[in-house]
Amino acid sequence: MAEPLLRVENLKTQFFTDAGTVRAVDGISFEVHEGEIVGLVGESGAGKSVASMSLLRLIESPGEIVGGEITYKGETIFGLEEGPDGDLQRRDDMLSNEEMRTRIRGNEIAVIFQDPMESLNPVFTVGGQLREFIELNRDLAKREAKREAIRMLREVGIPDPEQRYEEYPHQFSGGMRQRVLIAMALACEPSLIIADEPTTALDVTVEGQIIELVDDLQEKYGTSFIWVTHDMGVVAEICDRVNVMYLGEIVEQAPVDDLFHATKHPYTNALLNSMPRPDRTVEELDPIEGVMPEAISPPSGCRFHPRCPDAREVCQRVHPEAKVVDQADGHSHRAACVKHDVFDAGYDESVPLEAEPQVTAGTPGGGEDR
Amino acid sequence: MGLLRYTVARLIQAIPVLIGITVITFILANLAPGDPVRLMLQGQQVDQEVIERVEQQYGLDRPIHERYVTYMANLLQGDLGHSIQRDRPVTDLVVQRAGPTLMLVVSAYAFALITAIPLGILAATRRNEPADHISRIVALLGVSTPSFWIGIMLILVFAIQLGVLPSSGLVYPWWGPDHYGYSGYPELLYQTIRHLLLPMVALGTLQMATLMRVERTQMIESLQGEYVKLARAYGVPERTILRKHAFQVAQLPIITIVGLNLSTALGGAVLIEYVFNINGLGRLLLEAIIGLDYQLIMGITVVIGTMFVIGVIITDISYAYIDPRVTYGDRE
Repeated sequence: MAEPLLRVENLKTQFFTDAGTVRAVDGISFEVHEGEIVGLVGESGAGKSVASMSLLRLIESPGEIVGGEITYKGETIFGLEEGPDGDLQRRDDMLSNEEMRTRIRGNEIAVIFQDPMESLNPVFTVGGQLREFIELNRDLAKREAKREAIRMLREVGIPDPEQRYEEYPHQFSGGMRQRVLIAMALACEPSLIIADEPTTALDVTVEGQIIELVDDLQEKYGTSFIWVTHDMGVVAEICDRVNVMYLGEIVEQAPVDDLFHATKHPYTNALLNSMPRPDRTVEELDPIEGVMPEAISPPSGCRFHPRCPDAREVCQRVHPEAKVVDQADGHSHRAACVKHDVFDAGYDESVPLEAEPQVTAGTPGGGEDR
Repeated sequence: MGLLRYTVARLIQAIPVLIGITVITFILANLAPGDPVRLMLQGQQVDQEVIERVEQQYGLDRPIHERYVTYMANLLQGDLGHSIQRDRPVTDLVVQRAGPTLMLVVSAYAFALITAIPLGILAATRRNEPADHISRIVALLGVSTPSFWIGIMLILVFAIQLGVLPSSGLVYPWWGPDHYGYSGYPELLYQTIRHLLLPMVALGTLQMATLMRVERTQMIESLQGEYVKLARAYGVPERTILRKHAFQVAQLPIITIVGLNLSTALGGAVLIEYVFNINGLGRLLLEAIIGLDYQLIMGITVVIGTMFVIGVIITDISYAYIDPRVTYGDRE
C-alpha cells in the first residue's frame, strides 16, 4: 500500500491543570490515505477534538502534545527523540511554528468547525473572510482571490454568490454558514480537511444536505477528510474507515462496513445499540450504562470495563492495546478488547464482574467536546 | 435604510429629549429657593414698586408655563435669555465659554483612548503577567482617585516642584498667535499643548482607567472566540489576528462606554476647570449657581445637555458604522 497521507503514531496530548494531568489523548495511532474519509467517533469528552487539533499543533496552554509522532506527506509535524542527556526533545526535522503556519495550516490541512454561528467573524463580510484565507494560502492577488471566493461560494450551493459575497455572517442561516465554512476549507485547496462535528449544530434536513454536498465535493476534488462526530448514522453515510475513541484511546479501528457488521469491541457495539433506528422503538434502545469517567483519573485495566456488559475480572487488571483481530479488503480491523484470542489474557477463564449500580446518563451525544 | 437616513432619524429622535431637558431645567430653576431680583439688589432696601417693575421687565410676574413658551420661542432664535448677574446675553457668554470646555473634554477622551486601547490589549495578551498586574493597579488607582485631586497633585509636581508646565489657564488656538504675542503657529501649537497637558491628564485618567479594563476584558473574550480559532487554523499570523480579527470585535463595547461616560466627563470638567482656572462652561455654571443667575443656569444646562445628546448620537452612528449587525431600526 502507498505511503499514507497522514500517519499518527502513539499520539499523546495532555492538559496540565490544577486538578491534575488530563490525558485527553492517550496514545492513539491511525492513518489517513489519499482520497479517504476517516471517521473519528466517540462520546463527548473522548478526546476527538483535541486529537484533531493536535494534528495542526493548535493545542492551547495548559495543553501540550507530550508524545508520539505525526507525519504528513513525509514531513514531521510532531516528533520526539532522545537527546544527549537522555531526555526527550523535539526532533530537528520537526516543522517550525512558522512553517506550520505558512505551509501546513490552511493550505495543506484545513478545518471545518462545529459551530457555524460562532466560527465566522461577525464584523467582516463573508466574502472578505473567504478572500483573506484564499489570499493567504494560495498566493493569489486580491482580485483573483475574490473571483475564486465567489466561484467556491457557487460551488457549495450558495445562490447569488456575487451578492452574498458582500454580506455579513448574521445575514446567513446556519446551514448557509456551514456551506461558507466548507467553501473556505476547499478554496484553500488542502489535501486534508478536518471536519470537527460539522453538522452537529444543524437540524437534520440541513445535515443531510451538507453531508451530500461534502460527499460530492470530496469525489470531485479528491480531498481526504477526517470526520469527527459522535453520530454513528453520519459515520455510516460518509466514512470509508472509522476510528472509535473512548477516553483518549482508539478502541476499535475498521473499514466502515466491518465496523457495523462485524463489530469487535463492546463499546462500539454499545454505541450502535444506543442509536435510534426506524426499526426500533425508543423502549428498545439500549443506552450505555453510566457516564464516561474523567480523563484525569481513568479506570484501571480496560478503561471501558466499568460500563462494559462483557466485563470480567481480567478487564480490571489488563490494559489492552489495540491489536489486529481481523483483515478486510487490505485493511486491518483492530480492537482493544481482551476477549479476542490474540490478547491471550485469560478472558475465558476470568469470572464475570458483578454489575455495579450506575447512574444511567443516556446515550452519547451533546456534541460539546470542550 | 442607509447610514445617512439612520443619522437623520437619530437626530429627529433627539428633539423630544432636548425638549425634555429644557422643561426639567426650567421647572427646577424656578422651584429653587431665593428671589433673583432681591439677590440682584444685594440687600438694598427698595420700594415694592421697584421690585415689581424689575420683575415685569424680566417677565418674572407671569405664570411659569407662559414664561416657558416665551423662553422656547427665544431659544429657537438662538436667544438664551439675559444674564442678570453679568448683564450680558447668555448666548454670548455660552458661545465664548463652550470652546475651552469642548477642547478639554475632547482632548481628555483622546488621551484616554490613545493610552487605554494599547494598554488594554497589552494586558490581555500578557494575561496574569507583570504587565497585566501593573495595568490592574493603575486602573484601580485611576478609577478610585477623584479627578480634582489628581489635578492638584499634577500642579504640585509639574508646575510647582518641577516648574515645567503651566498650572492654570489654556491657550486657545482659534485666537491666533498675535493675541498671545507668539512668534507664529508652531509656537501657538506648542503652547496650546503645554497648557492643555495637565488638565487633560487630570480629566482623562478616570476614562482611561475604565476603558483600559473594558478593553482588556473584551480582547480576552474576543481572542477566545471561535473565529480566532478558525483564523489560526488557516494560518493567519498572530499579529493580524490581534490587530484585525480580535481587535475589531472588541471595540464595540468601548464605543458604548465612551458615549455613556460622556456625562461623567462633562461633570468632571466643571471641577477641573475650577482647579486649573480655565474659563469654560463648568466654571461659568458654578458661578451662575452661586449667584442664582437663572437664565444663565438654564442656558448652560441646555447647551451641556445638547452636547451630551450629540455625543450619544455620534456614538450610536459610529456603532452602526462598525457593527454590521446593528439594524437601522427598520423591519426586514
